[in-house]
Amino acid sequence: MGRTAVSTSDLDAVDFFRAGSLYQNPYPYYEYLRGHGPVWREPHHGVVMVTGYEEAVGVYHDTETFSNCVAVAGPFARWPEPLEGDDISPIIERHRDALPFSDQLPTFDPPKHTMHRGLLGRLITPKRLKENEEFMWTLADRHIDEFLDRGECEFIKDYASPFTLLVIADLLGVPEEQHEQFRKELQGDHRPAETRDKDGTVAHKPLEFLYDRFTRFIEDRRQNPRQDVMTGLATATFPDGSLPEVHDIMLIASNLFAAGQETTARLLGVMFQLIGERPELQELLRRERERIPNFVEECLRLETPLQSTFRLTRVPTKIGDLSVPAGTTVMLLPAAANRDPRKFEDPDEFRLGRSNWRQHLAFGSGVHSCAGAPLARAEARVSAERLLDRMGDIRVSEREHGPAGARRYEYPQTYMLRGLERLHLEFTPRR
Amino acid sequence: MRVVVDLDLCGGHGVCEGAAPEIFRVVDEADGYAHVEVILERPPEELREKAEAAERQCPNRVIRIVED
Repeated sequence: MGRTAVSTSDLDAVDFFRAGSLYQNPYPYYEYLRGHGPVWREPHHGVVMVTGYEEAVGVYHDTETFSNCVAVAGPFARWPEPLEGDDISPIIERHRDALPFSDQLPTFDPPKHTMHRGLLGRLITPKRLKENEEFMWTLADRHIDEFLDRGECEFIKDYASPFTLLVIADLLGVPEEQHEQFRKELQGDHRPAETRDKDGTVAHKPLEFLYDRFTRFIEDRRQNPRQDVMTGLATATFPDGSLPEVHDIMLIASNLFAAGQETTARLLGVMFQLIGERPELQELLRRERERIPNFVEECLRLETPLQSTFRLTRVPTKIGDLSVPAGTTVMLLPAAANRDPRKFEDPDEFRLGRSNWRQHLAFGSGVHSCAGAPLARAEARVSAERLLDRMGDIRVSEREHGPAGARRYEYPQTYMLRGLERLHLEFTPRR
Repeated sequence: MRVVVDLDLCGGHGVCEGAAPEIFRVVDEADGYAHVEVILERPPEELREKAEAAERQCPNRVIRIVED
């Protein structure tokens, strides 16, 4: 969580989009960016990097100026014509369908975004989640049962990954007999949600399995409605009362399913990394369970699972003090904005009780805010409660990760995602 | 103007609290779920811009600013 001393000249040479092992600890690089200002055009690709909190919120909240078409592709988007002019919106419309993830909600802009987002807005509310919460507790117990007696576990593989997958599978109404197959198809290897070729291009459609299955579920729910989220999705209408294509619903369901796992599993990982590393914090959370929500948010702030996202300017604009032309790729760095000292005092410190503890940008801000945030928060809370109930004296394994103060942790080799690949814990079984 | 929220749809995102902290705050219910609480149901005219920003930016379109 801390910084290492890296010289500025070392970081001048870094191309952040091909930075290899730098992703193991990106925070010194974020501070290097911040040293150039809250908004700065990095020299290797001309991407405008936003590390300032207020400046990031300004971009998140302006969907007229900033298009989400490049939200995933970022600087690797390929355009058949130059992005020049006073308003490149027509160019965007001509070519956006060829961009990676163009069929997914996060890359839509209003008015299409508004219509499609509205389909799921009603489905992941606290009211709905309360109905599914019983299953979350049962699922937590089921997974803990499997490793409790060993007094140790590899937390990501044994708990975080399968739990997050099965929660969303249950919420979406995937039949229980198919859960194991979903688990195998989607967690066969621990690659991030987007897959990358050698030249850095992003695979266009990595979700074929989900697409096929969800199409069938949706068609089935339209014939035979049930009491689940999938039925809610399948029968939801656009504002004008029209029924969406099965294809559109399938894409939303698939997106929800894929988006809700890796990220939430990483959140659970950092929560238990901290619990294992800090006995006093662990003791406090055991005694004062009502501090858990604050704890979860502080974990999100400090180790934001989705470290970055991209926007494209439609027109010339100003971001903070920087004027940029139309066609500029902007990299929003919520992980860096979450450590903006203008917003969070002693930003690198883990601290409960900050007055603004909810105001981090781990779930974004504005209309594209993570639709699954209430679900992720519920999963985090239920997991924290149940794991603290059943596992005493939780410690990070020295055998696997080295001694305190000299730990060895592995992170994914990507600027998009942050979280432990493995977390070996030891504990005293309670019940 | 008057602020109306649909608590059934509220996901506790807190964008409103960020945009207009004088009008909205997010609170945790006893069951662990967060939702918005309207501090100022009838905000003064000076807060109109902030109120309308919160309305526009709410991810679940929960907020409506209505004229009495």
